[in-house]
Amino acid sequence: MSVASKKPDLPVQFGVYISLLIVIVLTLVPFYWMIVGATLPQDQFFTYPPRFLPGTHFFENLADLRDRFPYLLSIWNSIFVATVYTVLSLFLCSLAGFAFAKYEFAYKEYLFYFILATVVLPVQIMIIPLFLLMANFGLLDTHIALILPFAANPVGIFLMRQSMKSIPDSWLDSARIDGASEFQLYYRIALPSVKPALAALAVILFLFQWNAFLYPLVVLTSEELFTIPLAIERLVGQHRLYFDQIMVATALAIIPITILFLLLQKYFVRGFAGTAYQP
Amino acid sequence: MTSIELDSVNKIYDSEGGEICAVNDMDLEIQEGEFLVFVGPSGCGKTTTLRMIAGLEDVTTGTIEFGDEDVTDLRARDRDIAMVFQDYALYPHMSVRDNIGFGLRLSTDIPESEIASMVEETAEMLGIEDLLPKKPSDLSGGQQQRVALGRAIIREPSVFLLDEPLSNLDAKLRDSMRKEIMELQQQLGITSVYVTHDQTEAMAMSDRVAVLNDGELQQCGPPEDVYRNPTNQFVAGFLGSPSMNFLEATVSSDGDTVTFNGDADFVYHSEASSIAEALGDRNRCTVGIRPEDLVVGAESGFNVTVTVVEAMGDENVVYAQVGDAEIRARVDSQHRLSAGDDILLGFDDDNVYLFDAETGDSLRTKDLDSAEETEKRITSPER
Repeated sequence: MSVASKKPDLPVQFGVYISLLIVIVLTLVPFYWMIVGATLPQDQFFTYPPRFLPGTHFFENLADLRDRFPYLLSIWNSIFVATVYTVLSLFLCSLAGFAFAKYEFAYKEYLFYFILATVVLPVQIMIIPLFLLMANFGLLDTHIALILPFAANPVGIFLMRQSMKSIPDSWLDSARIDGASEFQLYYRIALPSVKPALAALAVILFLFQWNAFLYPLVVLTSEELFTIPLAIERLVGQHRLYFDQIMVATALAIIPITILFLLLQKYFVRGFAGTAYQP
Repeated sequence: MTSIELDSVNKIYDSEGGEICAVNDMDLEIQEGEFLVFVGPSGCGKTTTLRMIAGLEDVTTGTIEFGDEDVTDLRARDRDIAMVFQDYALYPHMSVRDNIGFGLRLSTDIPESEIASMVEETAEMLGIEDLLPKKPSDLSGGQQQRVALGRAIIREPSVFLLDEPLSNLDAKLRDSMRKEIMELQQQLGITSVYVTHDQTEAMAMSDRVAVLNDGELQQCGPPEDVYRNPTNQFVAGFLGSPSMNFLEATVSSDGDTVTFNGDADFVYHSEASSIAEALGDRNRCTVGIRPEDLVVGAESGFNVTVTVVEAMGDENVVYAQVGDAEIRARVDSQHRLSAGDDILLGFDDDNVYLFDAETGDSLRTKDLDSAEETEKRITSPER
């Protein structure tokens, strides 16, 4: 009896690679098309046959974009809102996850499932109540209105609880005996032990805030507070679409998110694989 | 260094099916500098008791005192204890150096430079200086255990608690670590409480061994004393490897001779007055004989059929069947026995233990001490 796992047949392998290749191409073509579009003048955008090679009009398009809209400010707004949101949400979600994973308290299970149940509520349902809430607090047209309502994210709490459950109780007991307070257990033992899950969650949260459109559209009115999705929306005029500028804006918008992903990539897969700690 | 006193300690857990009593009315005094081992089967309450001493588990009723101080309601970090866990509980994101110094950094004002030199010293004592920059995941089980020991002793605690610290190690390493822990404890003289399910470990390491079953302290005393004078059938069966043979028998008396009739061929006549005295007017009892007290080739005894022979080198462990009861005997390896052999197993009157058939209480033990005296030892331990 052979122990080694059997290698799949060559035709099967070939088929798998071809399928993967098709998926990769389908994923990358829009990105490539975006870059091509960003470097072409508007009038060459819809030529037939279409142009597949990048042009040289990038900086002109960028200058047009800057004239039309304070776009760099929007990028900065997005980075600021998404970063603050991510940090705050990581803190709240991990703290809640730690409590759900490692402490006993009354109605813990019910409370957890209640929080989890809120995942199914679409943003559209919450927009009006949230708008009224923010209006009551006097927070309309501020960045705080974007950050606060979603800071305690149910998906984040769930993810943190799952990974913190894998921390052995003996680590915490040992630290308790060593003199750690309960917050120090969280901060010095639990948090460093779930770094991969934190990284994965950071990417999810950052992306969520980065891409948010409908809710910011409702609560923000001042252009100087706009995030990228709102800024891009402004390029869709009533009478014409500024495709060249939209492509430039979109190309710029994906740069920060790509950097974030590359930085956290090594943790990302491990974080989603479930446990943080492999004995 | 301090003494520990448990006074009527109970631990009751609420569960869906009602209350579960994990530790039942435990009274125990642990002397200053003593090495006490809790031993018992899984779920007997030994770890719960240790965790209550540590302050990691609330006491339902009763008190725990360290010296003259009532620590029942003190938090773990305020009890001046150190604990070694079964899985070592090393923090994976810290180096060995940081792991060992962690407690000092958290709970004392000692300057960083001094902590560093204390860590070096402790590591040197345990022979792990080379491991200081490494992460726990780079270490073997034995090395991790040494680091865990280092983390525990660096704070010079007044009580040292160990929860099955050797059970994740292989047999050879376990033996050497056992010796190291004993040496360390003797050297530092810290009051130590050690939990294990391994009775060999308990016998080998302890000043006194406390045998637990179903949340109750069965007996506490020096290991050889508990071994020779078990207070009941559970303790007799738990200590010793292989464990004691138990044969249920009906008792009949004819003048000076007492006759025990058990399963199949087990018949035993005794003229010893101590045996008749111990039995009183009982007509049933359980006879206990240690495997090492059974002799092959005696003049009288009972017939058994060998089922399995385990060769240990200098001796063999022979398994045989008498009716429904399995008999284990440790015999010299010069007896060349094999499965299927019919042999005669004999034993001496002096080596007979007797237990009440209903309650399992000891009626007669090896040193002819009465069970009452043994019982006294439970409540007033003496070193």
